[in-house]
Amino acid sequence: MDLLLQTLVNGILIGGVYLIITLGFNLAFGVLGVIDFAVGEWVMLGGFTGYWLNHYLGLDPLLFLPVTFVVFVIVGALVYPMLARLLKGRQHARLLMVFVFTFGLSTLLKGGALTAWGFNQRAMDSFFSARSVELAGVYMPQIRLVAFFFGVLITVAVAWMLYRTRFGLSVRAVAQDEGKARLMGVNTNRVAALVYALYAGLTGMAGVLIGVIYTVTPQMGVQYTIFAFFIAVLAGLGYVPGVLLAALLLGLIQAFVAVYIGSAYSLLIVFLSLYLILLVAPRGILNRGRA
Amino acid sequence: MKRATRDLCLFSLAALIIMLVLLFTLDSANLRVVTGVYMWIGLALSWNIIGGYTGYLSFGHAAFFGIGAYTTAILVTVAGWPFPLAVLTGGVAAGVLAALIGGPTLRLAGAYFAIGTWAVALCMLQLANILDITGGAYGISLPSLYSDTVFYLLMFALAWLVFFFTWHYIEHGSFGRKLEALRENELAAEMLGINTNRQKLLAFIVSAVFPGLIGGVYAGWIVFIEPNAVFGSNINDPMILMTILGGAGTVMGPVIAAVVLYLLNRILWINWSADTAYLIFLGFLTCVVVLYAPNGLVGTFKAWLANRRRSLPDTQDDEEAS
Amino acid sequence: MVTSRGFPRFLALVAAIAATMLFITSAQAQDKRDFYKVGVITSLSGAMVYGGNVTRRGYDLWEQQVNKNGGIEVGGKKYKVKLVYADAQSNPQSAADAVQRMISRDNVDFILGPYASSSTLGAAPITERYKVPMITGSAESPSIWARHFKYTFGAVPAVDRTAGEIMTVLAKQRPEIKTVSIIGMNDPFSKSTAEALRDGAKKAGFKVLSYDITPPDADMTPLISKARSLKPDVLAVGGEPNNHIAVVKAMESLSYKPKGLVMHYGVNTPDFQKAVGKAANYVIGATVWDPSLPYKDAVFGTAQNYVKLSETRYNVKPDYTQAASSAAGEAFAAALNTADLPPPLSAADKVKLVDALENVRIKTFYGTIGFEKQGPWYHDNAELKPIVTQMIDGKQVLVGPGDLGTQKIVYPQPSGQ
Repeated sequence: MDLLLQTLVNGILIGGVYLIITLGFNLAFGVLGVIDFAVGEWVMLGGFTGYWLNHYLGLDPLLFLPVTFVVFVIVGALVYPMLARLLKGRQHARLLMVFVFTFGLSTLLKGGALTAWGFNQRAMDSFFSARSVELAGVYMPQIRLVAFFFGVLITVAVAWMLYRTRFGLSVRAVAQDEGKARLMGVNTNRVAALVYALYAGLTGMAGVLIGVIYTVTPQMGVQYTIFAFFIAVLAGLGYVPGVLLAALLLGLIQAFVAVYIGSAYSLLIVFLSLYLILLVAPRGILNRGRA
Repeated sequence: MKRATRDLCLFSLAALIIMLVLLFTLDSANLRVVTGVYMWIGLALSWNIIGGYTGYLSFGHAAFFGIGAYTTAILVTVAGWPFPLAVLTGGVAAGVLAALIGGPTLRLAGAYFAIGTWAVALCMLQLANILDITGGAYGISLPSLYSDTVFYLLMFALAWLVFFFTWHYIEHGSFGRKLEALRENELAAEMLGINTNRQKLLAFIVSAVFPGLIGGVYAGWIVFIEPNAVFGSNINDPMILMTILGGAGTVMGPVIAAVVLYLLNRILWINWSADTAYLIFLGFLTCVVVLYAPNGLVGTFKAWLANRRRSLPDTQDDEEAS
Repeated sequence: MVTSRGFPRFLALVAAIAATMLFITSAQAQDKRDFYKVGVITSLSGAMVYGGNVTRRGYDLWEQQVNKNGGIEVGGKKYKVKLVYADAQSNPQSAADAVQRMISRDNVDFILGPYASSSTLGAAPITERYKVPMITGSAESPSIWARHFKYTFGAVPAVDRTAGEIMTVLAKQRPEIKTVSIIGMNDPFSKSTAEALRDGAKKAGFKVLSYDITPPDADMTPLISKARSLKPDVLAVGGEPNNHIAVVKAMESLSYKPKGLVMHYGVNTPDFQKAVGKAANYVIGATVWDPSLPYKDAVFGTAQNYVKLSETRYNVKPDYTQAASSAAGEAFAAALNTADLPPPLSAADKVKLVDALENVRIKTFYGTIGFEKQGPWYHDNAELKPIVTQMIDGKQVLVGPGDLGTQKIVYPQPSGQ
């Protein structure tokens, strides 16, 4: 019974990790149609930002979340014009060209990080590391709780921004029909750039949290890219509340398979179920995403 | 003789000459590098059939390479089959896998297709890691059956086969025209009476069978396979990059890019063991090509050529007619 | 596309390429030398670059010391050694390419092999085909030796002969240990380690409560929680240092500390120490070599002296992997000496060298080296006995078996559950 509850908690908290990496990504995917292969690389670079700041300044890495956010918003704003150029191109399959562009970007960033920092793993500790909250025999790692609530908070904030603000209205308008949105007087260029910058900022922050929970290494990116892709698809593109649900679902599958079916199968079953869900419900498990 | 057929013959002849000259002049170490070049030409051209001509970006083609390699390895070591038969079965296995997943997966559009095929490749990687028959993470060792020269010739033959298929049936055949039609506009192609689902599936299967065969030959050549070496990103990613950089949907693009990129990779490796610097270069090149020459190097060159011809109307056309 | 007019030009280009290639290949000089050319193949790039560099340091130190002493003595004369390097890139295909290259272009006399079993398995078939002997200084997976490569030898005993010893030593522990849970990563080395730990535990009479193999990149908390719920006395993990970091971080975050924690390899590496800090304390492992052992030889002096040499040149404390790599060179030197084979070695000489290696039995600073002639560990070093270690306050101390132990195991570890 204890193990069942503990596995439930573990699964939810793994879901929290998936939530923070996918949230911004799903927004960019849904609004701009940009499938950013470099998402894992933003996570990795965010992790390194936290690591080096922590290394040189000695403060708790979580204190650098706002700085990391700002840094990556700027990075995102600098990268976006290149994507915009591709998105406006006339060639067929321009979204695929964006995909390939970000694939190149990801290769470039990974190669750069490997060249600069090598293959070593680096760990950083926060005040919340190596601490847990115990509740009736169930242990909750504090740092993962922080990540989880951070994720929920950001989800709520983004949802509020989307559905309750004027800016959100224009974002949704762009997502629905960019041409019409422009006719209605929305500065679609600016909206798109801001969405992409927001995505980069959120993902960079996720990197700091992931770096504290696990470790940072230049090679860590691709596995987060995989999960960001898959969760965004399960959630339904652009449907923010869906991300929370999909992330939890995936975390729970992983935790329960590892404990009750066999840990060797955990990733196989995760990938297999993703594939099957994708075939059955390409608009996400809630059928609310953009087709 | 039709012009396309004549060019094909000339090309094949030239390739054959190069192949033989290299065979008799290179030492065994460089011969291995060139064997690798043929392998990558074959793989990039195979990917080009679905990713370039049909416009479906498969992100899981390592699945087919890997299943070919593993089928061959298992049949040779466990069942004691002769190597050529095992390789052919490996190709069939890749085709069957493509047929099974192709139907449902090809209904997905654009990015969803890419993600779906990626999921399949990851499943295969995990599967190879946990099954008993694949040897799990320990991999499979094969007996050394033939000399390196045989594998050199086999890889060349396979690369040429994919080239021939692409040239004859796709670039200059009705199959290719149907694929290009459905790439540009699937609905319109349907209106023209093309059974798009069937054509797509056919293209997908063909583009999977070749990597399956190549994977089988690879297994016999390297004589040791493990899950990451045949299902991993080191097989998956270069196929895509080579095709896109060279020019998706052209015959020569993937060939040129495969030659240049693989040789570059080996030269950097031999002289500086600098694989991380290679990543920087490759990533940068990809970004630049996508931004400034989105049809790839050959595609852009062709467009530039066509543009120039249009501005010089008489002379060139006369020659084409001859 | 090529038009009929362009075709001759195309052919000219082809001829030019071929001519260049011809020029490059014919530039090779005749091979006549009075030193040994030794191929070193190890992962200088790729995921295993860390282990690759440990191995390389071992080989380089051997070269340095041998040449300082004037070289390898054969037939009363001394011959220096020269290392040439090739990069296995942490993958089997590159390992094969690299070996082929150094055999056919550099015409090496013998080869010092790669780190990690997958690279070794990629390289071994090539050395087999060209009949060039290779000793790998660091590969530990038994899957290499089971394949009976005639030309491949190993300086480190396979992990399935060493990791189990931990359990034998733990069986003598009082308070008594009764139960064990085992977690292993799904890669060749780690899985073999986990299997060895499981078999050792069964032999020692422990009850194995759980045995889980997991993909190395999966989250570790579910498995840690599972192990904890079974309340084993000892949790044993088979993995590489980076996997151990992930496991320890997951354990710490769940506030779980078993009474005994076993991690066979890598707990004394700087990466692990730095990443997990205090949590590295009391981890139990195994090794086949330690600087405190009373081994010595003519090339490196005592084991202590070897540590000093390594610290002087690299500012790194050597582990058994590095020591074994240095000792691999000494095994070659001994075989060359007994078989009386001055450089350069002909094809027939290389076959003779393999026969000599099979009969080598030398005492080095790393301990005795002698290779199995048959059985499941064919050509692996059979002479070394595993030693069980424990990390105490950042230092690796020996805790068994028997007299080899200088201290008692700290068990249960403070505040272990």
